[in-house]
Amino acid sequence: MTAPADEYLLAALRIAAGADPVPGRVSADARAAFALRLPGGIAAAPMETTAMETTAMEKATGAGVRSTAYEEHGEPAAHRYAAAGLTIDVEPVVMAGRVDVAGQVSPAPGVESLVEVRTPRITAGRVPAEDGRFVVTGLPLGWISVVCHRPGHPPVFTRWLHVRP
Amino acid sequence: MLDDTSPGPPLGPTRLERPTPLDQAAWDDLVARFDGRMWAVARAFGLGPADAADAVQGAWLRLVESLDAIRDPDRIGSWLITTTKNEAARLSRSRTGSGSAVSDVPDDIPDLGAPDPAAAVVDADYGRHVWGRLDLLGEPCRSLLRLYALHPDARYTQIALRLDLPVGSIGPTRARCVSRLRALLEENVHDSPR
Repeated sequence: MTAPADEYLLAALRIAAGADPVPGRVSADARAAFALRLPGGIAAAPMETTAMETTAMEKATGAGVRSTAYEEHGEPAAHRYAAAGLTIDVEPVVMAGRVDVAGQVSPAPGVESLVEVRTPRITAGRVPAEDGRFVVTGLPLGWISVVCHRPGHPPVFTRWLHVRP
Repeated sequence: MLDDTSPGPPLGPTRLERPTPLDQAAWDDLVARFDGRMWAVARAFGLGPADAADAVQGAWLRLVESLDAIRDPDRIGSWLITTTKNEAARLSRSRTGSGSAVSDVPDDIPDLGAPDPAAAVVDADYGRHVWGRLDLLGEPCRSLLRLYALHPDARYTQIALRLDLPVGSIGPTRARCVSRLRALLEENVHDSPR
């Protein structure tokens, strides 16, 4: 066996001593995560993105604003995923302790489709615009995933993305 | 602000259904067996409670998105520990400004078929074994590592005050002490419970 990481040794020490037990809400969230599965769904893999001339949020709002994540981390906050012939662009922005998500599904999935922006506790559904754009505001900080439901097709979901300033 | 919530996917009858190898009861059993270990690993990276909770939840969400790829349920535990370690390391790097905060890099997620075998040490039995070796260390290593293990939120300044050591020496001393502890564990590898 390879040598365990220092963190593994420390974790084992604490478990044996009963120090710092897992909080109940962490266990409750873990149990609840099972309900987030999408049987038969297709996972969209992240793709390399280049800095966009105009961010999804700028397109969606028509404003010349940059995300705080861009400013704080010095890297584009846009994330691109692709699977099943779909490209899903996701751009989360942290505003006043909440997360706004703008994005676009390409090619546009049509008005009979539904885009969901999911967090572990809240799911917000949007019918995408004719060009596939969507916006959801006021989500809690933490993990988000975008799912595109199209009639006659399995859902396509992005990998979970962590958003916190 | 969020102004509505979805009633759920509207296309249920047309969705492709494939058997999921876990049901809620089996999932709950996984949580009961591993969430404490995952929490301990996340906290061992020095994360506060909020970040540690995010790291643990991230590992469960990675499992949710990978359920269809599970071929060997016996390896899920080690995979969860390894994935928690990766998420915690990423969060720790982003907090110290030494790495990207982006969480969707494919290399972050271990192969479900080949999790880190070293993750198996994260349990109470091995922890008791490590405590036994830790007690063989001289000072200040024994006291320093005991304090560090038993007080996850203790800061270096508090440990320095308690042990009457310079604050700047705590980090390097801790590294030397862990190295000595490792040497003791390797000397007694044949006595180890695994």
